[in-house]
Amino acid sequence: MDVGERVAVVGASGAGKSTLLAVANGSVPATAGTVEVLGADPGALSGRALRQLRARVGTVHQHLELVGQLRVVHNVNAGRLATWPAWRAAVSLLRPQGLPEVLAALTEVELADRVWERTDRLSGGQRQRVAVARVLVQRPELVLADEPASALDPVLADRTMALLAGTGSTLVASLHDPALALRHCTRVVGLAAGRVVLDSPTAVLSLADLTAFYRR
Amino acid sequence: MTAVTTRAAGVPALRRDGVRWAWGLGTLVVLGWSLAGAGLFSGAVVNTAGTRQFGRFAAAALSPATDAAFLGVLASSVLITVAYAALGAALAVGLGAVGAVAVARTTWGRRRLGWALARGALAVPRGLHEAVWGLLLVNLLGLDPWVGVLAIGIPYGAVTAKVFADLLDEVPRGPYEALRATGAGPVPAALYGLLPAASGGLLSYSFYRLECAVRSAVVLGLIGAGGLGYQLSLSFSSLRWPEVWSCVYALSALCVLAVVAGRAVRRRVADPRPAGDRLRRDPLLTTAVLTTLAAVAWSWWYLAVSPATLVSDRTGDQLRYVLAAAWPPDVDGPLLSAVASAAVDTVQMSVIAIAVATVGAVLLAGVAAHPVRPTVARRLTGAVVRAALLLLRAVPPPVWALVLLFVLLPGVLPGALALGVYTLGVLGRLAAEATEELDPRPRAALTALGASPVAGWLYSVLPAATGPVLAYALYRWEVAVRDTVLVGLLGAGGLGALLASRLAVFDWGAVTTVLVALVVLTAAVDLVSARARAALR
Repeated sequence: MDVGERVAVVGASGAGKSTLLAVANGSVPATAGTVEVLGADPGALSGRALRQLRARVGTVHQHLELVGQLRVVHNVNAGRLATWPAWRAAVSLLRPQGLPEVLAALTEVELADRVWERTDRLSGGQRQRVAVARVLVQRPELVLADEPASALDPVLADRTMALLAGTGSTLVASLHDPALALRHCTRVVGLAAGRVVLDSPTAVLSLADLTAFYRR
Repeated sequence: MTAVTTRAAGVPALRRDGVRWAWGLGTLVVLGWSLAGAGLFSGAVVNTAGTRQFGRFAAAALSPATDAAFLGVLASSVLITVAYAALGAALAVGLGAVGAVAVARTTWGRRRLGWALARGALAVPRGLHEAVWGLLLVNLLGLDPWVGVLAIGIPYGAVTAKVFADLLDEVPRGPYEALRATGAGPVPAALYGLLPAASGGLLSYSFYRLECAVRSAVVLGLIGAGGLGYQLSLSFSSLRWPEVWSCVYALSALCVLAVVAGRAVRRRVADPRPAGDRLRRDPLLTTAVLTTLAAVAWSWWYLAVSPATLVSDRTGDQLRYVLAAAWPPDVDGPLLSAVASAAVDTVQMSVIAIAVATVGAVLLAGVAAHPVRPTVARRLTGAVVRAALLLLRAVPPPVWALVLLFVLLPGVLPGALALGVYTLGVLGRLAAEATEELDPRPRAALTALGASPVAGWLYSVLPAATGPVLAYALYRWEVAVRDTVLVGLLGAGGLGALLASRLAVFDWGAVTTVLVALVVLTAAVDLVSARARAALR
């Protein structure tokens, strides 16, 4: 995978998409083979070195990783915890730090007016956009997105993918919608039962090809 | 520049929740006032001369007394404590069952006033600590086993009545109303329509009371009712540290046994075995109930309890004399101002205690919780911390107060800290359980983006656990106020000390005044705590 590439991971439920992303951000150790993320093996690192590697990898989960009891501003700021010292993280809970960046990121996902809301008061789709805003303030070199558009309507889904694709970071996103994959990604990787069964630049794929892959 | 334009585009201003902030600020002010009242900011509080004695005490932890003679004494003390606990709990469940009928909404129907009065009447026995009942009863009955049994049975009976009534009232009314509509009388209708649905809860709560009764029986021992608590105070006052530690370990074992057995019963009640097509009783529940009944019968024999004592002429005369002397209560100026300042001390002690316990519980909860991905070192520290918390809550607060008096000068502070470490034992476990129940995914997500352990804890565990832990802390504050009286009875100041001094000179009018103050104070604390918990939600 090259720097700046945007890869859509497609496949049926249980094909191994989420596992691939979890191995890439180091939360699940690989059981076989070698892993190389941004030139390092997360399994071989520990402590500070591992944290520094992880700071360069941002993950958009299926909006389940947010803390409901915190205001939106803190959940977005959590994207910067790797670079902030602990005291600054603590101070920010009382007096939010770096507000302009948070507001800029929230404006991108059209949630700036909810910045002070408690996160558990938001709808599922709004929470997913908060998760995207967290990655925007993190500014990682590699973005891993696990079905980032699943809870969004078509217009917002398109806009969110455009946002993630427009950061300039390398992007690996698992997607259920073939049209989104073709529009925003440069390469499609298909998984079935944990194995790569399709790997092709989007330029040579048609919507019909991809839809047929899902139907298999 | 972007920030300014987005603000102009309609970013709302940060609005803090005023009610919560008021509660938070109020708490800090009260805590500061309490610490000042305990003399923390004015002069010495540490007793440097006692550190060597404290060292000797602590060193004896590793070499408890194990000689045969003392172990024999210990064994019979354990039996006495168990007997008091079993009889006290049995009496409480009996009183509770009768009382529940008297205070249930089902009984009163639409007669709101009668129901409210019946409920209010329960606040009096509930507001007084078991030890206070013990001291009052000893004046009526003399040194009789009934003192220990009634001292547990009366306040526990009142609490049990309230909880039983709530359990009955929470049962859906449909089946009961349907039976009544077919012409069944209220009692049979309740037996078939209400009791089956509530029986699991009633059984669980009865066993929970039995667990609590073990602790109370130890505490009553401290004020002279015999058993483990009595042995502990004897060994303590004769400075025999190895014996003290033997008692402490026996106490811890007894508490663990009670909790493990009680929990097994309650788990089984919550998750019953399928019965199938044959009539089959659950062996665990049957054994538990039969063992308890046998234990109650044995306790009756072992303590040589005689119902004749309760109805003897001497008891009647004494009761008439005390009641005549106790009414009207004393309301002269010096006494009232003493009561007021003692009440302030009591509140301050309980506030310091709960603050110490809450801070400690928050810090220890993460370590004490069972880890998601355990390593050997992590599992070992967890086990050590959990054992330490168990030790903290197994030893009654007055004993901790005596231990702290080695290193602190007498006053409000040692009593408050003693109560604090004891409550820490309880609250630490509750906080650890609250932490275990949290969703692990938010924390895992923060780890995955490179957050340090501290930052990850601040942004995931802290905000999610604050609500439940504070609610527990407020609830334990109600308990702590009652326990403050207990620590006071043994000399640490506050209303308890005032009560003990008035009782010692048989000044019954003043005793009534202090008791009224106690009941009012505990009711007020319950009210404030309930309001604060509502603001948390």
